[in-house]
Amino acid sequence: MAMTMNLYSRGDKIFAIATSVLIGMFTAATLYPFIYITAVSFSSGFAASAGKVILTPIDATLAAYKHVLTDPKFWVSYRNTFIYTVGGTLMSLAFIIPGAYALSRPQLYGRRFWNLFIAFTMWFNAGLIPFFLNMRDLGLLDSYFGIMIGFAVNAFNLILLRNFFEAIPSSFQEAARMDGANDFQVLWKVYVPLAKPAIATITLFCIVSRWNGFFWAMVLLQSEEKIPLQVYLRHTIANLSDDQEFTATLLNQPYSVETVTAAIIVCAIIPVLIVYPFIQKYFEKGILLGGVKE
Amino acid sequence: MTAKSVGNAANNTASGTPDGTVEYAAPALTLGDKLSRAVDHFRNEWQLYVMLAPAVIWCIVFLYKPMYGLQIAFKDYSIFRGVAASPWIGLEHFETLFGNDQFIRAVFNTIKISALNLLFGFPAPIILALMFNEVLHAGYKRFAQTIVYLPHFISTVIIAGIVITAFSPTAGIVNTILGWFGADSIYFLTKPEWFRPIFVGTGIWQEAGFGSIVFLAAIAGVNPSLYESAVVDGASRWQMMWKITIPSILPTIIIMLIIRIGNIMEVSFELIILLYQPATYSTADVVNTFVYRQGLQSGQYDMAAAAGLFNAAVAFVLVVAANSLSRRYSRTSLW
Amino acid sequence: MTGVRLEGIVKAYGRIQVVHGIDLNVEEKEFVVLVGPSGCGKSTTLRMIAGLEEITDGTLHIHERLCNRVAPKDRDVAMVFQNYALYPHLNVADNIAFGLRIRKTPKAEIAKSVSDVAEILGLTEYLDRRPADLSGGQRQRVAMGRAIVRHPKVFLFDEPLSNLDAKLRTQMRAEIKRLHKRLDVTSVYVTHDQVEAMTLADRIVVMNKGIIEQIGTPMDLFMNPANTFVASFIGSPPMNQMPATITRSPDGYRALIDQVSVPLHNSLSVSEGQDVIVGIRPEHFSLKNDGGLPAIPLSLDLVETLGSEALLHATVDNQSVIVKTDTNGDISQLSNVDTVYVPPEKVKIFDAGTGKVIS
Repeated sequence: MAMTMNLYSRGDKIFAIATSVLIGMFTAATLYPFIYITAVSFSSGFAASAGKVILTPIDATLAAYKHVLTDPKFWVSYRNTFIYTVGGTLMSLAFIIPGAYALSRPQLYGRRFWNLFIAFTMWFNAGLIPFFLNMRDLGLLDSYFGIMIGFAVNAFNLILLRNFFEAIPSSFQEAARMDGANDFQVLWKVYVPLAKPAIATITLFCIVSRWNGFFWAMVLLQSEEKIPLQVYLRHTIANLSDDQEFTATLLNQPYSVETVTAAIIVCAIIPVLIVYPFIQKYFEKGILLGGVKE
Repeated sequence: MTAKSVGNAANNTASGTPDGTVEYAAPALTLGDKLSRAVDHFRNEWQLYVMLAPAVIWCIVFLYKPMYGLQIAFKDYSIFRGVAASPWIGLEHFETLFGNDQFIRAVFNTIKISALNLLFGFPAPIILALMFNEVLHAGYKRFAQTIVYLPHFISTVIIAGIVITAFSPTAGIVNTILGWFGADSIYFLTKPEWFRPIFVGTGIWQEAGFGSIVFLAAIAGVNPSLYESAVVDGASRWQMMWKITIPSILPTIIIMLIIRIGNIMEVSFELIILLYQPATYSTADVVNTFVYRQGLQSGQYDMAAAAGLFNAAVAFVLVVAANSLSRRYSRTSLW
Repeated sequence: MTGVRLEGIVKAYGRIQVVHGIDLNVEEKEFVVLVGPSGCGKSTTLRMIAGLEEITDGTLHIHERLCNRVAPKDRDVAMVFQNYALYPHLNVADNIAFGLRIRKTPKAEIAKSVSDVAEILGLTEYLDRRPADLSGGQRQRVAMGRAIVRHPKVFLFDEPLSNLDAKLRTQMRAEIKRLHKRLDVTSVYVTHDQVEAMTLADRIVVMNKGIIEQIGTPMDLFMNPANTFVASFIGSPPMNQMPATITRSPDGYRALIDQVSVPLHNSLSVSEGQDVIVGIRPEHFSLKNDGGLPAIPLSLDLVETLGSEALLHATVDNQSVIVKTDTNGDISQLSNVDTVYVPPEKVKIFDAGTGKVIS
């Protein structure tokens, strides 16, 4: 609202200041865990284990990072996450963009049925076990391709893009058709450029969900050389404290279970922080495009 | 120039109806006509079907085929015989499940955790959005929004890692702070009574900010002249919030509430898997974690599928009911 | 050879019929305007010619070729859309060239055609701009350029000026007229604005509720409306219409409105006691009695001054009537008007039941 502070009464000013302070507190509470983890990751193992780290690193050291970054498994999982993210996102787009365009066209025979066919998968799914058994029957266990293809289509994203396509005035399609363009050309030369914001939004949603995906990677992948970062992180966190050999070496080391965990967390968050400013531009609008339809 | 054609009124294929609209009496199409129209249609529009096919085939292979596989919930499934050849055993798995204390406990835990999520997690983004709306400094508001949206994009594993570290009995910041007040250190993640507060709190920390986007958009859609006329009438900001903002966004609030109720069976079990341990099963174990342990960890696929089917069926009924409620209330629905 | 020929064209959506069997010949190089209120079926008819709507029944010939089932791109027609449908991600040159590129026209030829078209439309200096950086009139020109560049046999215009403000609309109207003179291509133009129809058309087709009410030249429609609908649709302000009954007097038939009676031209085929509607155009009244015209007494309500003209809102026997008159720069006498005069040959008589003109 374009109202300035000097139009405010005394009570209004107090209210405005109070909300600003509350917002500040919530923001600080949101931010604090990240600061805390970063501080732990740079602290000495002894200080961290004793619970001395509050806000800034104590006895600052890079030892935990050295331990993490010299682990070849960390790099393998990082590379795998990269492959799953890029490959999976491209695959999703290849399925979703043409599908959304076809579903947005009134000429399509059985359009209502096909829309229902896709949307139904949002409300009912067979569950973990049948999905897992199906993946096994398809021979997609422990496979790069399985992870990428198995989660390629997301009905929510597809419907989001379909809604966006439907909102484009049909005269664009008609003008292009009269100019002699076929549907592939209309989609590629007209609709995709016009829908850039929506496509950027679903691309970013895909990237984030791929980057963060953990459960199915954990269930479907057995080989250590295929697991993504999130699964590596989970293994490491779970194993560190149980790993007798590792615990035994800690006595003489400048790092601890806590600092190593924190260091891995920081390494996994950094890429998200790098893309986050780009995502932010789109997701606020994107989240409103999808789902709810008049 | 051709002759004037004046008032060439409705020809004989049209017949007037009382309200003035004209109804088209379609000539009976022969099979040949229909066929030739269909051939015409596919000759012109075949590309649409080529575009649609990959998504549809994908849905069949990865989502609908598992629905066919759901029949193992009613079968004595063996990996070697496969889905189709395994013998039917009727509702035996369901009978076993309903006699299983762990399953019953998981059902109730699911409902309890969801109820807590609803009670505390649902108002949080609304309150946050209302507060954001009162912040005057645009830059400060922008900065705060950027921060509070961020946790939504952090993976469950990292969230769990942070929680485990922060609540650790010796090293964690929470116990350090408790220590300042002279309290004894608590190993939170092994205490059943602490699991739900930690889980629900983590959920609010992660999602409240992102969830406020929908409500902020609703607030942005309120007609500004309502506020202007309220200012002229001498209303305070506090009064405007209660008399204008909240009533205006009430439809959005109700729709979001209905959606939440529809999703009551969907607890984010990934986070539970990462945070719970046998000591906290009594409060933490939900249906999906039960399915995960029984099926994927212990290999009792058929019984786990039955438990999953129970969950999915209840969820489906809830979602459909919620949607029809939403449609009735607001003419807005999810599909 | 006809440019576009419609015979018995019907359009139905399911069981709802919206166009009820239209016959229309558009001559080659002719500029025909379809005009009518919204929902009259004019846009649907245009879209059937374009191939954007399926024809339910009847036949469509474009340059003597049966086109019912020909794909839009193969009909050799080009269309200017109401919202222009300019591709926002392409600059002006690429927007104009889009159709040629799709048709794989050689590059050199495209460059030549685009610069020719830009020349004609005065767009040469804007070729690098995106549509967002153009004014409304320039966008309108680009939309026309995109149609012209393909040298189609028929131009279709779907309310192309309705997104422009009044001043620009007048200007672009003249430009379209000039362009048509220069290119000499069969054109079908849809609008709901009768002024546009009057100024642009060689012939106007007045549509209403899915049928054609009248086809004719602009002056033909203005002077000889076929029915009350056309009479009230063409002309601004519309023709005054007053219910009346035919009476007979020694010097011929008269139309008795209530107490006021209007003498009729003696060639009209009416009969005594017939219920009719009297139609008189506002501009056909005269304030002075030139040569023994019959007088009509009225009571004046309001004078609206437009500058060179003024509108007198009045009542004749409780029927509201508008009289349009020249002011000649002086309106001081207008408020005293109590009688107007009308030549009998300017009085139109319509059948009260069917609304059709009686001649």
